Amino acid sequence: MPVDEPGPVDQDVTHRPHAWWGAVGGAVLVALSIYFMAGGLGLGLGTPFRPGTGAFPFFAGLILMGLSIGIIVQDLGSDGLAERPDWISFLAIGASLAVFALTADRFGLLPAVFLTTLVASSPDRSLHLPGKAVLGAILAGASWVLFIKALGLPFDAFRGI
Amino acid sequence: MDILTAFGSGLATAFHPSNLLYCFVGVFLGTFIGVLPGIGSMAAIAMILPLSFYLEPGTAIIMIAGVYYGAEYGGSIASILMNIPGTPSSSITCIDGYPMARSGRAGVALFVSSIASFGGGIIGMVVMALLSPGLANLALSFGPAEYFSVILLGLIAASAVSNGGALKGIAMVFAGLMLATVGVDLTTGDLRFTMGVPELRDGVNLVIVAMGLFGVGELIASIRANSSGQGRQTIDYSQFYPTRAEWRASLGPILRGGGIGSFFGALPGTGQTVASAVAYAVEKKVSPNRANFGKGAVEGVAVPESANNSATQTAFIPTLTLGVPGSASMAMVIGALMIHGITPGPRLLVEHGDLFWGLVASFLIGNVMLLILNIPLIGLWVRLLQIPYRYMYPTIIVLICIGVYSLNNNVFDIWLTLFFGIAGYLMRLFRFEPAPLLIGFVLGPMMEEQLRRALLLSRGDPMVFIERPISGTLIAVTAGILVYGLWTTFRARRRSRSASISMSE
Repeated sequence: MPVDEPGPVDQDVTHRPHAWWGAVGGAVLVALSIYFMAGGLGLGLGTPFRPGTGAFPFFAGLILMGLSIGIIVQDLGSDGLAERPDWISFLAIGASLAVFALTADRFGLLPAVFLTTLVASSPDRSLHLPGKAVLGAILAGASWVLFIKALGLPFDAFRGI
Repeated sequence: MDILTAFGSGLATAFHPSNLLYCFVGVFLGTFIGVLPGIGSMAAIAMILPLSFYLEPGTAIIMIAGVYYGAEYGGSIASILMNIPGTPSSSITCIDGYPMARSGRAGVALFVSSIASFGGGIIGMVVMALLSPGLANLALSFGPAEYFSVILLGLIAASAVSNGGALKGIAMVFAGLMLATVGVDLTTGDLRFTMGVPELRDGVNLVIVAMGLFGVGELIASIRANSSGQGRQTIDYSQFYPTRAEWRASLGPILRGGGIGSFFGALPGTGQTVASAVAYAVEKKVSPNRANFGKGAVEGVAVPESANNSATQTAFIPTLTLGVPGSASMAMVIGALMIHGITPGPRLLVEHGDLFWGLVASFLIGNVMLLILNIPLIGLWVRLLQIPYRYMYPTIIVLICIGVYSLNNNVFDIWLTLFFGIAGYLMRLFRFEPAPLLIGFVLGPMMEEQLRRALLLSRGDPMVFIERPISGTLIAVTAGILVYGLWTTFRARRRSRSASISMSE
């Protein structure tokens, strides 16, 4: 068993949405294996003596395809998801990364950190907007001190403003 | 005698002021991140990796190792105080640590866990110093076929006995192998699977994969888990030191745990979680105090802590001498070495002996630091756990963003992290473990290269992997693990199905 598996899963919240739900993961893997097999074929398989550029991805894809079909069969009708999905946190964290990606180049590090903090903390109702803004400002200030001043990373604190 | 001399020169390396400083930084940051529930040593290493690029290779690896065992140690603090394992391997510590904390003896539990971690760490370090040179010597005779087989063994061992079942674990390994082919093919120079994106020419960065799958994925899952108020403990400092009887009771478990942990740590694919679970089970059989296990027995804290820390040290044996990591964290160590232009494997001891022995000696120093750091700092970690998570997780996401952005100063890397973060969270929901994927991703290029070389040398005859004795033995062991993994998966499935049928009847 690998050591670094994700933290313990809360078994109490397991739920059963639909029987086909469990097969989605396997289906995605089948698609991925087809992509790599097709790409591998295009790159050329070569000969056993001198395998081509595409040989390794092709055969890795082939084995993955076999395994994925096994997973689909195994998971069809399984007991649903490992834990109750938290789509709100999922969206907030995803959006916060996107905000950082959109703003870091245009406005500089500090505005990016501020906005990322605001978006990431948006699902939390226990903290009011001014509180979130203060948190964002503190994190922006700390990032400036730590990364730009102390570590000397080549970031602009502000850009294009 | 040779080992002692080498260890002595390693101590001199480790005592170099900059190494001491970064060992301290690593241990401190590792403990800090490890204490945060749900964020494990993987995310900790991924977050520290960009920083290590600015350091000398030897210093970088000492710091990364410090983060690793610091995080493992920090994990047990959250286990004892809040019954939430900060890292999976510290989940066993919850069994007796949390009841101890509830009965007002959190201080003693934390103290014993420090001492046991220290004892286990030292046992693991001694085992590593004794075993590594021999194993590296054996591996020096390896040709490409043996390397391919040992990598295959490492990959299958790390995945076939995973939580989500053998099929999913192995599938993740192959997904990782395929992901590793993105970028320029080192043998031919052809571009593979870059989809016309210039940033993908050099392949996907290890930090991005790890930050996305582990950092972002774990973070999303940890938000709700931490928003509900957990039972927090106050520490009575007057009850900090164990009684003489408790000292005596802990000694045996520390030694046994250290021994068992060293063994499982060195095996690819088992590691600390298995080590601490087995050590706890053994101790429960042999301890005179077994009736109190699970109710706050001091032995029940000492044994998993010692086992998990010694396994943390011995995990470096296959990683550094064979270049085959037993876990995703060790895969990160390999990745970090490669970024610094050092290929882990049997030649590492010959070509970079100072680095290897400096690292071994730094374990001694790092474990002493953990001990002296944690006894006064327990109060700080307790306060850290009392900071509401709504302040913590935006901070972590900012650190992830800046860490990734600092790689190339390119926001494309952030988008890629977002992609792997989404994948990591969905994988978690669908019971796919990210660890085998990361191991496959790190070992993929090496595996492909050795495969090509072996086939070239054998003129295209695949039988070379079976006919050469060492390679053949490795393949046979791999096949055995594979069959065992599949068998247990199907048996568990049949059992759960028949259980659900009998429930519905």
